[in-house]
This record gives sequence, C-alpha cells and structure tokens, in this order.
Amino acid sequence: MSTGIVVDSVTKTYRRALSGTSVHALNGVSLTIAPGEVFGIIGPNGAGKTTLFGCLLGFLRTDAGRITIDGHAPDDLAVRSVTGYLPERLVLDRWMTGRDFLEYHHALARLPERTRHADCATALERVGLDPTAAARVIRGYSRGMLQRVGLAQALLGHPRYIFLDEPASGVDPAGVVLFRRLLGELKGSGATVLLNSHQLEQVERVCDRVAFVKGGKVEAIETLAAGAEVARVVRVRWAGGATVTDAALGQAAAAAGASLASRGNTEARFAVPDDAGAARLMAALVAVQVPVSEVTPEESRLERLFLDSAPAVAAATTSPPANPGGAS
Amino acid sequence: MNRTLVVAFWRQRFMSPFRMAFLLFIVGVPLLITAAMPQAGFSIAGKLTGVALVFAIGIIGQDLSSGVLQLLFARPVRRSEYVLSRWFAAGSMSAVIGVGQAALVVLIMTVRGAAPGAPEALTFVGERLFEGFGIAAVFVLLSTLVNGVGDVALWIGVQFVCGIGGMLAQAKGWTWLARAAGELSGSMNPNLPIAQIAGGLAPWAPASAYLSTVTLCLALAVLVMNRRELSYASSNG
Repeated sequence: MSTGIVVDSVTKTYRRALSGTSVHALNGVSLTIAPGEVFGIIGPNGAGKTTLFGCLLGFLRTDAGRITIDGHAPDDLAVRSVTGYLPERLVLDRWMTGRDFLEYHHALARLPERTRHADCATALERVGLDPTAAARVIRGYSRGMLQRVGLAQALLGHPRYIFLDEPASGVDPAGVVLFRRLLGELKGSGATVLLNSHQLEQVERVCDRVAFVKGGKVEAIETLAAGAEVARVVRVRWAGGATVTDAALGQAAAAAGASLASRGNTEARFAVPDDAGAARLMAALVAVQVPVSEVTPEESRLERLFLDSAPAVAAATTSPPANPGGAS
Repeated sequence: MNRTLVVAFWRQRFMSPFRMAFLLFIVGVPLLITAAMPQAGFSIAGKLTGVALVFAIGIIGQDLSSGVLQLLFARPVRRSEYVLSRWFAAGSMSAVIGVGQAALVVLIMTVRGAAPGAPEALTFVGERLFEGFGIAAVFVLLSTLVNGVGDVALWIGVQFVCGIGGMLAQAKGWTWLARAAGELSGSMNPNLPIAQIAGGLAPWAPASAYLSTVTLCLALAVLVMNRRELSYASSNG
C-alpha cells in the first residue's frame, strides 16, 4: 500500500576529517509527501536540496530523524523496486549503447525479461531518442541525449516514486518541452514525483506543492495546486503617443480590485489579487480608453511565492551561498 | 550473485582496448617464450597475477569515482550483491583465461617434445584457478578503500613495504618482522599451493589460509561498501 514519503526531523552534517570542520547540510527537515503528489524542492545553491535527495534515496545516512517511503526505510529493496531516479550529475556507463544501458537497468530493476526489448523501445520513444541514436555508444552522446537516456531509465517499469534532480538541465528547447510534457504525463499517471529544479516556471507548471529550502531547513511549503491563487504584479503597456492620465489608471485599478504600483510614459505596474483580477484589470483599462498594447506578468506565480514566502531565500539567490561548494 | 552485474562487468572489461592489449601481452609473451624454450616448463607462464590484474584493477574504485553507483544503487540491488558479483566476475574471468593459457602451455610443451606429467599439469592448472579468485578478492577489498585505480597503487605499496620489512628483518635478525612481512605479502597474493597440500603434513593449513584470506577480504569489502555514502553532495561538502 502506498503511504507516501515522510521525512521527520532529519539532520545531516558533513564532517571534514582533515580540517575538522563541519557543514550542517540538513537541519531538522520535516516533510510529508502524499502518494500521487508532485512535489517541488527549490532553493539557492548549497541549500541542502541534493543532500535531501541523497537521504531520500538512501545514499546518505541521516545523523538524526527518520525517513520512510511507503513505511519502509529508503534503502529497502521494496522501495527501490518502485523508484525511478534521475541524478543532476548524470554519469552513465559510457561504454554501453543507449539501448544496452536501458536493458541493463531494466534487468537490474528485476523487470520481466520477456518485455525488456519492448519496454526499452517504448521508453526511448517517450523521451524522443530515435533508434539510430540509441544504437550508438553513450561516450559520444551530447548532454541533451544523456539526459534523455537518463530520464528513460528513470521511467522504466512505471515507478511509483520518481526523483528528478534538475531533469531539464542541458537539454535543448525541444527537450525542455518534451520533459514538461512527460512531467504532465507522470502527474496524470498517479506517480509521486519529487522535482528539484532551478527552473521555477517548470516547477510552477507541474508541482502541487513546493518546499523552499535554505541553509538545510525548509523555510516554507506552498501549495501551487489550482485554487491557491496568489497576488502578482502585471506590467501594462499602451500605444506610444497616447495620453493616459493617473486618474484613468487609478479608476481602472479600483474597478478591478487592483492597485497601481508605479507608472511611466508608456507603461504601468499593477498589483492584482489573482489571475481573475488581472483579467478584470484589462477590461477596466479598455473601458477607460487606455489603448492597451501588451500585458505581461512581472513575475511568475512561483517567483511571487518565492519572494513573498521566503524573502531570505530570494535574497540568497542574488548573493554568494553561505556554503560555497558545499551540499546543494 | 547478480547475473546482470557479472555479464556487464565482463563486457566492460573486454571492451577496454588498454586492458585487452595488456592481456594479449601478458598471455601471449609467455606462450612465445615457452614455444622457444619448452624445457623451461611452467616457470615461464608462472603466476596468474598479471592476468588477474587486467580484470581486477579498479574493480570497484572506478565505479566509485565515476559516479555510476548512484544509479545502480537506486535499483533493487544489495551492496553485498554488487561486491560479490564483481569478485566473481573478475575471479572467474581471470581463472578461465589462466586455465586456458595453462592448457596452451601444456599443448606447446607437448608439441615441442617436452610434455609435462599429468599431475604436474593438473597442479599448475588448479593453482591458477584459485589464484584468480584470490587476487580478485584482495582487489575487491582494496578497491572499496580507494577510488579510481588507486587499488593497484595500494597493492604495490603494501608489497613494497613488505619487501623493505623483510630486508630489515633479515639485516637485524628480527624473525617476528620477517614473519609479519611474509604473512602480509602472502595475503596480498592468496593462492592454493596444491602441490604442498598433496604432499604436506598438514594439508588443510594452506587451504584454510587461502579460504580465510578470501573470506576476510570479501567480508571487509562488503562492510566498507555498506558504510560508504554515495552522493556528490557529500564529496563536495
């Protein structure tokens, strides 16, 4: 029975034997991820995201606290049988062909031998890697091709838990679109997905919830699912040469339940309560004869959440990490 | 033992041009010399160490340093299963090639009119069989301790220290040091002296020494692997 992922007060410290120094990578992290949930983990470099992934996958031992997946320890073979993983620093067996590599992992996953060829062909097709490329030795693959093969192996056997660490890293725009579509498919399939990504737009599109991690702690957990609307800023531009008064902008803002944040000669910024508020604002602007030429959100919804819910995290993204080169 | 891991290891080793070139040299040269000097007997082919090294160097350390173990251990594979599969794959391949080379030596000697006796030939073949598994066990242990191909440096280093220790013991007359150096050096090259077993007073002593060395190496290797943390986050900080 699937009971999801429970992370309870997990602490992890790296100790350097030579220098005698310690780095507190995780500091009392607690999370609960429900079965079928798509959960994002974001935060600045050195925040502890990869360490958290390492603990969740049983690669790292926790110093304190407990992690369970379906009620089992992360390194339990029962958990690994239903787990797919795509690491950030993807290292594949370079001497194999792409197809060999998939068949190798299909066998390691103890999936039925009779379906091996068909399963691998389907996985390659899902990630858009053609048979000719799959027949080549991995040593000659581009970064994008490596990511595709890596993702294909993570999807083998339709795992119930999928850990994706920067899945779209190094792929071309077509690959980004493909990955976005695959993430949507995974969400629809009922798999529990953990996504660590710096691409906030990607996280926003697919995740039900997102955790902001900084300094080894979960600073905030926000719900991104439908209905969890948040305030945002939209930038409105109008045709050059048109005379737009402050009074007209203020009137439109009041009618839409928005507020005028600032204005220039050909544009203005409005704070709107939600997406519906943005739509009302556009209608109100047109009603007061503002010749609107362009309306764009100033920040994505997640960027807004990022700034509102974890200002310390946001500030840290523009300054050097406290733990340079450390756990990320 | 995991068949997938064993077969993948064999394929990986045979697809390495450097290892295959070294293997060809290490197997072929003694055969040529034996053909030229058949009366030299089995002494030219000698120990199986070279062949075993071709397969055993970096047996686990290369996986540790490359980072492939993260994907491997995300699969339902026990670390003990991985360690034992690596040992069996390297040991069996060394043994098969060692036995094959021995058979060719016997054939060449026979053709060249210096046919060895059956007991002598069987002893030579049997010792090579066990030597392959013995050296593989030592390298499995050393390879869990150091990344990359550092295991061979460690192995040579221990042999060097044993050699120095032996010379020092001889010069100073320290029998305890001579014995310690001898034991340590022997444990780096575990073999089963079949001739000694057949004719010795205590035939089970060498056999138990061999088996205990191999078992200890494998047990320690599993212990070390089980305690290893696998994450680039941990290596970075």
